[in-house]
Amino acid sequence: MTRATQKAARIVFFLSAAASAMAAALVFGFLLVFGFPLIGGGEFFSLLTRPWSPGQGLYGFLPMITGTAAISFLSIVFAFPLSLGTVCFMGGLGPARISRLVDGFVRFMTGIPTVIYGFLGIFLLVPVVRTLFTSAGSGMCILSASLMLSLLVSPTMIIFFKDGFDSVDFRYIQAADALGADSVQRLIYVILPEAWPGIVTGVIMGLGRAMGDTLIALMIAGNAVHVPGSILDSARTLTSHIALVSASDYESLAFKSIFACGLTLYVLNALAVIAVRRLDGKRGQA
Amino acid sequence: MDKPVKIRVENLTFSYHQTQIFENINLDFTDHAITAITGPSGRGKSTFLSILNRLWESQPFAAMQGKVWIHLDGQWVDIYGRTLSKPDLRRKVGMVFQTPNPLPMSIYKNMAFPLKLTGMTDKTLVDAKVTAALQQAFLWDEVKDRLHDSAFGLSGGQQQRLCIARALVSRPEILLLDEPTSSLDAGAASVIEDLLTELKKQCTLIVVSHYLDQVSRIADNALRLEACGFSQV
Amino acid sequence: MNIRLLGGCLRVFSWGAVLVLTGSVLVLLGYLLIKGVPSLGRDLIFGQVDILDAVLLRKRVFDGLFPAIAGTLSVVALSVGLAIPVGVCAGIYMSEFATVFQQRVFGLMFDILAGIPSIVIGLFGFSGAIFIHRYISNDFRPCLAVSVAALAFLVLPYITRTTQAAMQGLAEQTRQAALALGATRVQNIFYVLLPRSVSGILSGIILAIGRCAEDTAVIMLTGVVATAGIPGSLLGSYEALPFYIYYISSQYTDEAELMSGYGAAIILLGVCAVLFFLAFIIKRRLAGPAGPVTGRFHG
Repeated sequence: MTRATQKAARIVFFLSAAASAMAAALVFGFLLVFGFPLIGGGEFFSLLTRPWSPGQGLYGFLPMITGTAAISFLSIVFAFPLSLGTVCFMGGLGPARISRLVDGFVRFMTGIPTVIYGFLGIFLLVPVVRTLFTSAGSGMCILSASLMLSLLVSPTMIIFFKDGFDSVDFRYIQAADALGADSVQRLIYVILPEAWPGIVTGVIMGLGRAMGDTLIALMIAGNAVHVPGSILDSARTLTSHIALVSASDYESLAFKSIFACGLTLYVLNALAVIAVRRLDGKRGQA
Repeated sequence: MDKPVKIRVENLTFSYHQTQIFENINLDFTDHAITAITGPSGRGKSTFLSILNRLWESQPFAAMQGKVWIHLDGQWVDIYGRTLSKPDLRRKVGMVFQTPNPLPMSIYKNMAFPLKLTGMTDKTLVDAKVTAALQQAFLWDEVKDRLHDSAFGLSGGQQQRLCIARALVSRPEILLLDEPTSSLDAGAASVIEDLLTELKKQCTLIVVSHYLDQVSRIADNALRLEACGFSQV
Repeated sequence: MNIRLLGGCLRVFSWGAVLVLTGSVLVLLGYLLIKGVPSLGRDLIFGQVDILDAVLLRKRVFDGLFPAIAGTLSVVALSVGLAIPVGVCAGIYMSEFATVFQQRVFGLMFDILAGIPSIVIGLFGFSGAIFIHRYISNDFRPCLAVSVAALAFLVLPYITRTTQAAMQGLAEQTRQAALALGATRVQNIFYVLLPRSVSGILSGIILAIGRCAEDTAVIMLTGVVATAGIPGSLLGSYEALPFYIYYISSQYTDEAELMSGYGAAIILLGVCAVLFFLAFIIKRRLAGPAGPVTGRFHG
């Protein structure tokens, strides 16, 4: 390998890294430029509070913000106990053999495509919701979407929770065992108090995943453009809004407004990433 | 041998990952005595200790056959049987590790931890037991003014004595120590050796050590572990 | 006795959580299999066309999943093929040459990129297509090329991260052995570090493949359509399996079409399952040479 080749290699490595780093900025830039007519001049913040009514020249996405918030937070409400319980099970409350099976199953779950959750949601979950809750209309509502979404984000949360559990200093667990703690006591007195950064990270990552998902909300949340009043109402998220409006004429103002939508999602994600990196710093990792 | 037998190991066979560690071991351990276990490293000395308090069971791929009888509360108990739960066993058979492992709490909370596990809430009783154990471990004078400071603020030797005190607070009948002084300097080690000799009066001690001079100083019996079996030294 | 009650509740709660979680997913998958397996077969994929004719592109398949499957395969292969060199090189840089400052800043940018919702990436891809349409060629529109580029953005962080982690995870002795013998850093990378990191990098690639295969949001905005035949050129439209599932869920006109949706879902799930097992096997081989995990209790 000649000197020249080696030098070239180093340059290629650097350029690849720099280009990859620029990718995130490039996405932001394009969104900003293309959404500019509706973003420039303080318009952006009014978009956050106005309703969506293109016929009346209103391009706000307040209903979608509430839709995203409702569906995402509700899905975390369902997913958090499921995930925490599963991790406690794997952390000693369940038999070792079954724990290994559960661990493998959860990993398998991470590969299930969201479009399949959406598809099965339409034909299996929505009719059930429809019959159980008469005020749910067609059954395509916040509740249905949140239930499916909780299955989607649980594996993510479980993996981060488990990382938190595993990172508890082994010597503490060894000490607790040797002093006569049973698995419940060990969990409550030693593991949980030390693993909380992992739990917080898991919730943030799960919330991020929930907010960023498109297909489940698109297929089973109903897509009505109003601020939802109850979890049995149909709703639309920022993500499904982008998908739906993108079918329209791309020169229209309606279309341009979804760039602002995209920017909102981008910024939310960036904030979550920064928060998680701060938390990891607290745990003493780079 | 005029002192009674405290621990009887019968036909112990142990393997880890299909590798034989012990083969047909039969041993007696004398009450109120220090038995030292020496031998080359990596042969299973620590594993042997963990068989006496069943700590090895949290390891996958390990298998054991045979029986371990311990004379507890006046009668012989098969510690792998149904009569004694693992947490209860470990209160009777305490363990101290090679590197001190205080929990991330204050000195007081570390000491009270084993009592909290048994559901003891009476504060005066807890205080009394904590003080007594710290005194037994020759640590009381050094920590009595900073009981609520973090345990990590203590020196290595002090932390190890804290771990011994913490194990003593449940009034165990047997104390297992895995190379208790190997992470300490000579001065701290000597304090602990005196402590162990004192503790003979109330417990049976089994000490793993690779310091032969330490063994000759404090041990009443010595066993050498080599090739799946023990030999008297 | 308070702790006992709490402990009991916790045990019940954790068992309940596991049962609800696994039970729900098993019910869903079971329902999918029951509904979809009957539709699996030659006809589902190739319709009325002979297999050989379809695969050799002699005849076009109109009522089978073959074009969608071909479309998914193409878009996955191209986008992952695009992302691998860039991602691996970036990962190497991060692991071997980046300064602390660069690690922090680049790392932050990678994390942000990784977290961008896929629909936003799709929107970005679409805006790129508009840009090219306006300033370069009026004929340009969302097509296979745009999807491939956008998906490459989507999966780049996976490959970069796993490459970096795999190389940084090598034992210090491995990392320094060649250097101690006089190798340069680049030589060390190519002759020692990269070969040793292949397993880790491979699992990152498999992750990326899975992510591309299942993605619907990105391709929805960048060129996938319901009917286009097999992908003819980079500048043309194409079909894809996940989009077919989405599309058919609301646009099915009869029972048969709905059943084909179930069939497509099973195929997609099957692809993901295969990738999962591949990744699992690779992880096993990763752990293999290192030997079984050493015990905590040593004599």
